[in-house]
Amino acid sequence: MENRGIVVIGAGPAGLAAAVKLRRLGAEDVLVIERENETGGILRQCIHDGFGLERFGKSISGPEYAALLKSEAEELGIECLTGTSVLEISKDRTITAASPSGVVEIHAEAIIAAAGCRERSRGSIMIPGERPAGVYTAGTAQAYMNLYNRMPGRNAVILGSGDIGLIMARRLTLEGAKVSAVFELQDHPNGLERNIVQCLDDYSIPLYLSHTVTEIHGKDRIEGVTVSAVDGNLRPIEGTEKYYSCDTLILSVGLIPDNTILEKAGVEIDPSTNGAVVDEHLMTSIPGIFSAGNMLHVHDLADFASAEAEAAAENAFLYASGKLDTGRNLSVVPGEGVSHTVPGRITGHGPFTASLRVRKKERGKTVEVRQGGKILGYRFFPLVIPSQMISVDAEAAAGCENVEVIVR
Amino acid sequence: MKKIYTCIICPRSCELEADILPDGQVSVSGNGCPRGAEWIRNELSDPKRTIASSVLVEGGEKEIVSVRLSSPVPLRMIFPIMDEIRRVSAKAPVSIGDIIIRDVLSSGADVIATSSVLAKKE
Amino acid sequence: MHYRFDIVIIGGGVVGSSIARELSRTTASVAVLERNPDVVDETSGRNSAVVHGGFAYDRGSLKAKLCVEGNRMMGALSEELGFPFVRCGKVLVGNTDEDLRTLENTIKQGYDNGASGLSLIDSAKLHELVPAVIGSFAMFSENSGILDPFLYTIHIAENAHENGVEYFLSHEVSSIAKKDGRHFISAGDDTFEADWVVNAAGLGAKAISDMLGIEGYKVIGSKGNYLVLDKTLGPLLPMPVYPVPSNTYMGIHVTPTVDGNVTVGPDAINTDDFSYYGVPADKMEYLRESASSLWPHINKKDVIRTFSGILPKWVDDNGKIQDFRIEIRDDIDSMAVNLIGIESPGLTAAVPISRMVFSMITERGQFQMKTDWNGHHDKPFRFSDADDKTLICSCENVTEEEIVRAIHNPLGVHTLSGIKYRTRAMMGRCQSGFCHMKIEHLIERKCGIRAEDVRYMRPGSWVLAGKMRECNGK
Repeated sequence: MENRGIVVIGAGPAGLAAAVKLRRLGAEDVLVIERENETGGILRQCIHDGFGLERFGKSISGPEYAALLKSEAEELGIECLTGTSVLEISKDRTITAASPSGVVEIHAEAIIAAAGCRERSRGSIMIPGERPAGVYTAGTAQAYMNLYNRMPGRNAVILGSGDIGLIMARRLTLEGAKVSAVFELQDHPNGLERNIVQCLDDYSIPLYLSHTVTEIHGKDRIEGVTVSAVDGNLRPIEGTEKYYSCDTLILSVGLIPDNTILEKAGVEIDPSTNGAVVDEHLMTSIPGIFSAGNMLHVHDLADFASAEAEAAAENAFLYASGKLDTGRNLSVVPGEGVSHTVPGRITGHGPFTASLRVRKKERGKTVEVRQGGKILGYRFFPLVIPSQMISVDAEAAAGCENVEVIVR
Repeated sequence: MKKIYTCIICPRSCELEADILPDGQVSVSGNGCPRGAEWIRNELSDPKRTIASSVLVEGGEKEIVSVRLSSPVPLRMIFPIMDEIRRVSAKAPVSIGDIIIRDVLSSGADVIATSSVLAKKE
Repeated sequence: MHYRFDIVIIGGGVVGSSIARELSRTTASVAVLERNPDVVDETSGRNSAVVHGGFAYDRGSLKAKLCVEGNRMMGALSEELGFPFVRCGKVLVGNTDEDLRTLENTIKQGYDNGASGLSLIDSAKLHELVPAVIGSFAMFSENSGILDPFLYTIHIAENAHENGVEYFLSHEVSSIAKKDGRHFISAGDDTFEADWVVNAAGLGAKAISDMLGIEGYKVIGSKGNYLVLDKTLGPLLPMPVYPVPSNTYMGIHVTPTVDGNVTVGPDAINTDDFSYYGVPADKMEYLRESASSLWPHINKKDVIRTFSGILPKWVDDNGKIQDFRIEIRDDIDSMAVNLIGIESPGLTAAVPISRMVFSMITERGQFQMKTDWNGHHDKPFRFSDADDKTLICSCENVTEEEIVRAIHNPLGVHTLSGIKYRTRAMMGRCQSGFCHMKIEHLIERKCGIRAEDVRYMRPGSWVLAGKMRECNGK
């Protein structure tokens, strides 16, 4: 077993930014563990621009963003173990991983878990119907095209109006495939307005809100889907079924923080995010294990995932130096109008920032962080939408009551 | 025809109502600032876009390299530019920033590599 | 092409392949004709994966006799053939007086059938065995178990192949002619001339029986739907939990798999479409609700996929389910063994069924035994065996070496589903989201197949339309 300093799991926008920050803070031994054979994480396949505006001041593609982080990491001499998958983490921070040279065991002074998220699958949303080939989650289709030079199909229908689905609508169209329509279960689009315009409107691809796929047809390869309108409770309305023929169904129906290894380690998980419950230092319920980026909660911009990972790095560094204020005393819960909020716990000893998503689109609202009757922080937003994460700064919670985040 | 647009200039995301009048002018209402009106006028008269795609690589460790346009181009040029992107190939090694097609179709934008591909080892 | 074999077995599932394996002990030439591209594509790969105790079948029936035999030998068989099997036991949970009487009768029936290890247990003991179960008492069958149906079937088939049986996959039998005491079987583009024919075609058995001239059987499909739950639920279910049974239908039960998942199901709906495996929305909800009254850990967020299987049930004119039919009809064809209605407990009873067929054939002719028959199949090459442990599938910890070995399997199955059943890759939480392209890419490279020719399962299941950029700069 090796004894190392601070170990970062994941070499995507979060993990690499955390590692770079750690070295800049003066951490001597920083190790990054990455399961793919290359670093960059999901950025490798996100070839569209829009990354880097916050962090680098320019709009660049995912691979370029990753390359900038990677060269910073190389300049700082950060060691990265690629082709290495973490199998297990123990409560005393021993990492067991599968690597090209067999199983390795590494004990870390602190761990930052930044291994990203996975896509919700057809199986888990249980779309009825046959099981033909040709049903792909948007990320898989994206990887096929952008990394493997393969076309998933030629005539697609897309379920889900999240950014990845919208991006793939454009990508497929530009490569000569037909995209008949995008269907969205909710009554509002999930992705950025910019993407609705530039991925759908530009190519006259219709978007049907409040619709979902209720059956998949085709024994061996998908031949079509039945689509139904849904009511206010998101239930299919009988009599509204329409058949759309296609040879490919792209699913963009949700990203889920991938916390298998943290769950196995016994880390407290927030069921509303599927990510770890962290305090304002981004530390999980296991001392010295931190989480950031999409593994903690799904971000809209890689830049923010990187920034959050840097915050985790600052705290991990303090922890490893024995200087971090720990103690998870108070809960922070999502209240009226709020879907989920991070951190889920706070020490109560210092100010913190609540990062949250609202339940529905509203204009002219104030989001408050309150402890009982006392307002710890608030912010006015001209517009709040579920697809955009927002944050509210709050002062220290002196009392002993739990804290709530609400939309006024 | 009047249509609603959500402005993307700033996070206020104002909902604009824009109408292309018979004389070609655009009447705008609902914008919170002049930039919004300017944005929708540009969008409706000559929308510009940037796209990303892939170019075939010869002799590389990977079959393709990701590319994007160095600056936005008129929307109507997208498909012709895609045809150009499909026609060419790049010789490995390719580095980020390499210009694969200079000033593609005289648009003023280059097609640049956004990832790197090493030459295949013999 | 025209082939000549001493024995042709129609159907390469667990029963057909077991029969092939037994017959491969002789020096006779044996072929298996399987209509699907793999041996686990129909009923053998779509079931509860339970090794039954033998108490649920009518006294004196073949189902009872062969199930009990199969159960007894399963431990030794799993060692010999290298497939996972756990004799974890099973509980049948009851709450009412009527349940109690049914269970008492079930135990009696079980003992009369030759089963063992059956007892009535009270609430305390029941909750010691399965803490999370909801129920007042139960029958505990300590010899019941679970196995991996894919590796079980595949290893039997591979061992048969190793011992000289020739497998013809993707060969659906379209007609059988008879001339000069021999059978001429048309399958795919080929003709197979055979002395003996064994009809082990499962869902296709009635059609084959008709082709053999043995007509009049009524076979219905009983379709069962299942939910598959994430591995985090495995530890909460140490053994299968069933509600009080009847002789025709097991009930919505919850079953752990050997890998730690949990399956919920099956229900049982009659169908005559033997190729439709979709799971309807209302069935998914029904399964969840129904089984939750037995074991309360079934939540939507833990469902990773659903699947279904169809059992071929032989019924009489009143629709009453019959026993296994394993026969030679001398009045019609004295060189054909006809297996009809091989449904549950066909998985448990596969080897005893095959030994019965072996006897039926060998006692009627001059057969010589091989001296070098080897019934052993190695355990599958797994994570712990690999030196380079770079993972392709991180959900199920499958290394590249395992995938490559699976690609080069002896039966020559090159589909994505073939890799899935042999390695467990693609079966995890992300349902191939992260590994689909890696496995497809390996299949292309290692088998020299073009992208557009890679298949998920059957010939029509193309996976990719082709390359996005071709070399001629298209």
